[in-house]
Amino acid sequence: MKLRTFWRENSTVVTFIGLLAILSVLGWIFMGQKPFVRTTLSGLTLAALYFMVAAGLTLVFGLMDVLNFSQGSMFMIGAYAGWQFYTNPTFLFGLAPLILAPIAGLAASQWIHPLVVNWKVPENRQKELQALFIVLALIVGLVAVWGVDFRGLAETAMVATMVAADPLAEATPQEPLGSFWFRPVLLLIAGLLIAVAQARPGDKTKVVYKDMIRNSRILVVVLLVLALGAALIREPGPIAVLQMGGNLRFVLSLIVGILVGGGLGAVIEATLISPLYVRPLYQIIVTMGLAFVIAELIQVLWDPLPYAMSRPPAFAQPGKAENILAWFRGGNTTVDILGVTFPSYRIFIIVLGVLMFVGLAVILRYTRLGMIIRAGVQDREMVEALGINVRRVFTMVFALGTGLAALGGIGAAPFIPVEPIMGDKFLMQGFITVVIGGMGSTTGAAVGALLLGLARAFGDYLALKFSLTPAISEASTVIIMAIVLLARPAGLLGRKE
Amino acid sequence: MSDENNHILTVDTIHTYIGQFHILEGISLTVRSNSITVLLGRNGAGKTTTLKSILGLTPPREGKITFNGKEIQGKRAFDIAAMGIGYVPEHRAIFRNLTVAENLRIAERKKGDLERRSEFIFGLFPDLKRLYKLPGNHLSGGQQQMLAVARALVADNVLLLIDEPSEGLAPILIEQMMEAIRELSAATTVLLVEQNFIMASQLGEDYYIIDDGKTVHHGTMDALVEDQELIHQYLGASVRVRGGER
Amino acid sequence: MSETTDNVKGTSTKQRTSNNPLLIWLKKNWGTLLLLAGLILFPYIFSLISGTPVSEGPPKFWQGQFIVIFIMAVYAMSYDLLLGYTGVLSFGHAAFFGGGAYAMALFITHVAPNIISSYRITLGSVNVTEAILVLVGFVLAVGVSVVLGLLFSAVSARVKGAYFAMITLAMAEAIHILSKATDFVEWTGADEGLHGVPIPAWINPTQFRLRFYFVALAFAVIMYLVTRRIVNSPTGRIFVALRENESRVQMIGYNPAVYRSIAFIVAAVIAGLAGGLYALWTMSATPTMTGSGLTMDALIMSILGGIGALTGPMLGAVLMEFLGHFFYQWFGARWPLVFGVIFIALVIFLPYGIVGTWQLRSRQVQQGWRRLLRPLRIEKQSE
Repeated sequence: MKLRTFWRENSTVVTFIGLLAILSVLGWIFMGQKPFVRTTLSGLTLAALYFMVAAGLTLVFGLMDVLNFSQGSMFMIGAYAGWQFYTNPTFLFGLAPLILAPIAGLAASQWIHPLVVNWKVPENRQKELQALFIVLALIVGLVAVWGVDFRGLAETAMVATMVAADPLAEATPQEPLGSFWFRPVLLLIAGLLIAVAQARPGDKTKVVYKDMIRNSRILVVVLLVLALGAALIREPGPIAVLQMGGNLRFVLSLIVGILVGGGLGAVIEATLISPLYVRPLYQIIVTMGLAFVIAELIQVLWDPLPYAMSRPPAFAQPGKAENILAWFRGGNTTVDILGVTFPSYRIFIIVLGVLMFVGLAVILRYTRLGMIIRAGVQDREMVEALGINVRRVFTMVFALGTGLAALGGIGAAPFIPVEPIMGDKFLMQGFITVVIGGMGSTTGAAVGALLLGLARAFGDYLALKFSLTPAISEASTVIIMAIVLLARPAGLLGRKE
Repeated sequence: MSDENNHILTVDTIHTYIGQFHILEGISLTVRSNSITVLLGRNGAGKTTTLKSILGLTPPREGKITFNGKEIQGKRAFDIAAMGIGYVPEHRAIFRNLTVAENLRIAERKKGDLERRSEFIFGLFPDLKRLYKLPGNHLSGGQQQMLAVARALVADNVLLLIDEPSEGLAPILIEQMMEAIRELSAATTVLLVEQNFIMASQLGEDYYIIDDGKTVHHGTMDALVEDQELIHQYLGASVRVRGGER
Repeated sequence: MSETTDNVKGTSTKQRTSNNPLLIWLKKNWGTLLLLAGLILFPYIFSLISGTPVSEGPPKFWQGQFIVIFIMAVYAMSYDLLLGYTGVLSFGHAAFFGGGAYAMALFITHVAPNIISSYRITLGSVNVTEAILVLVGFVLAVGVSVVLGLLFSAVSARVKGAYFAMITLAMAEAIHILSKATDFVEWTGADEGLHGVPIPAWINPTQFRLRFYFVALAFAVIMYLVTRRIVNSPTGRIFVALRENESRVQMIGYNPAVYRSIAFIVAAVIAGLAGGLYALWTMSATPTMTGSGLTMDALIMSILGGIGALTGPMLGAVLMEFLGHFFYQWFGARWPLVFGVIFIALVIFLPYGIVGTWQLRSRQVQQGWRRLLRPLRIEKQSE
């Protein structure tokens, strides 16, 4: 009985694993050990990257029915942010106070609520008052950022990479604090104005619980402290980061990547996606436009050139480690796995992908947010009827998805070129992954990513062996998708409707 | 005027459209505190839509809804629900891929809600305690329905909107469900949609009959039970189906 | 109230002019006709204004811009047939356009020269071999489009919504990969694409720009008329019904899959023809023409102008080309950034596109006027 229910629920995954096992044995026998292991490992590397993009796509679509075309761009932004932070973080440090300050203001929404709820605003004017506050906020915000040398800040890392000079020797284009301080302050005010609008002044039916107010207060204080800190360490910060050990810097840049990606995702959802839930088609179009804008923005800041981020020292010592343990001690560029010399950084990517999958599974299984996501994928209306602010959950899930993609991008940056077209490339693969795996299923995304990554790697191998073109392996992904969809229109693990 | 204060929910001629279809064409009703009010009517008359309109899931375009002295029409569904309305949808819409425990936990609005209320909930539905760790899709239909009701009891709700709790249940389970609803109505107000006239007539104190998106009749249940003509005029089909074929 | 007065007014105008159908037609379409006349005269007027001969300098340049606009307008219109009328979100439209372009370019580069060297078709004393071959090229473009359209609609019968969108994207990507695959390098030129396609001299866009201008204009007009005919036909009405409520269409006895296939094939053929003409205009066929960027263009033009009305996407095409031209001058190579930001703002604030919003506004303005005038009218009546 137990076995039967287990089979009923997991037949696809079990079948898939079984098939993979059979194929592996066949591959091992017919290809020989070394080529098989090498191809499998490259396939897994690709699979890990595809999963990082697809995980967010599938979550966001499953819960909110939003097809996020900017997911590839988030991957790309992660890569650029990581590369910047690792090479010369001046740009990020320069922007940090400008970004943290308005968010601190925004977070005060619940805190402000009790103050503004008793304003005497006639009901038909409430919407107009909100709009007025938002317009004011935009004006203040524009004044605040007028004249910031974004491009100069962006160039610091570019110069460092291209000239390969000592990055510390580069003069920083940061404004002195004396003339800079008003920018974050104005942005804070802009954020507060929007927070007032969000608190819906005069609207007595908005329910804000005491603990929400307390949380909001804590968040605002934390963000304010962070913003203040960021404003103060704008100039010494980059130098301090560059003086850190490479490995520590790399770990930090991973964290920065998640924060940048997640934060940006939250802002995008709150400002661009959420007004359009009544017009779903336009959500897709907005994210497409966004992908377009982000790619252009990146070209404005860093020119349409490919950059290479250097690997952190833990993966950069010359020579080959005999096994994984030896790599831990030596930090070599390559490592010997079952007789195959394989770049150690790619092993890291595979591990990162697996960690991400496990982490996501843990979040989905054991946290309240995960519970709401799982419930919402099935019946969004009922979640709403329980009094859960689904809009806020949407924002969080969107941010989670983009954060994961950005983390993926930063992980990928040291071994693929960091360039403005990487977003589109990975978006396409992410889509195919999600379609194969089934929308809304994280496990499906993992299965799809594995299938695609391995198909690409073995396709390349076969193409090389039989002197075919790489187009075969490129097209193989589409062919796999077609086959899967013919058999199962909702993808391997998609919900059936 | 004192009567006014006793009303926890007042719905004043609401009009609801779904797509281009005019579903509710002026529904008005009032629900007294700590009572059970039953919405009756044929299939497709607009009973479910009425509940959903109150909750803001299908927001009405016109009309006024007052809950606990506050106007709630045009608010977002989760804001309305958070004001203290519990919803038990039709078709036993529990979260099938969540466990029983999670199904209850998700309904918490404040930490500790479930712990505080668990004794009451398990008192009403002892089965759920035994099934606590099981995924929702392993439950039988009756158990799912109980879970759906229990879910609405986790948070401090002053009004429960219950949509066809007896739908597809075995008679013995209907008895149990009726008992549970009667028991919980001691502390909260219930607005019930029910096709099973026997159940409705035994539970309800007030009734409203909805036909073609309009409230056509209302009064106390005792009066309705006497009025065979009215029953046949508006509910004839459904009563006959329940009484005759099953 | 206002509706009834409208009706009365409508019937009265009809009664006044119903004796002459031509006059009604003229009255109804005077705007379109004026526009058409303007476009026909445009090269001459422009050369008069700028003081340069009609086939040189700025007039020639702007004729080129307009040729692109005409072709893109048709392409965007074909996309709207799917998105706006049938309600199908497809991200594979570039496959049709590129397919047409490649069909035309491949035929003229690899097949046509052999035929020209061995056959000679004359009409009277005029050698029409080349003209017929160009027509054959278009027929081939149609053939390729029909095949692709069938392929896409076969998928659409099985998969819906967002899935379908992503699958079309992937299918178009497969075509894109095919177009730049190195296996067929001696045929397609792989990454480089086909360049210097030996198109017949009499239509050569560099030598006879003005002639090509009129060809493109005629093409756009004909395609517009054909599409309008389709949209207003019973079949077209079923397209719209599909968009509104598919199960209803099924209920009244039409097979949604069949009609969606028809929509796909029609859209594919129109896009393919536009692609064929574009190949003639650029004398090339490159992988960009099958790339997802071109699908994006179709979508942007449709949204910009407003979906669900044929004039919307056409206006969108005009705007996009013009804005592209001027933004490039104002903002340099990174003009798409500005364009993208404007696009996002438009999507959020002008949900019906420019044409849609304009129609809505003008109706509102009319109603506003009527409301203003109503008290006056009552006064008049009482007098």
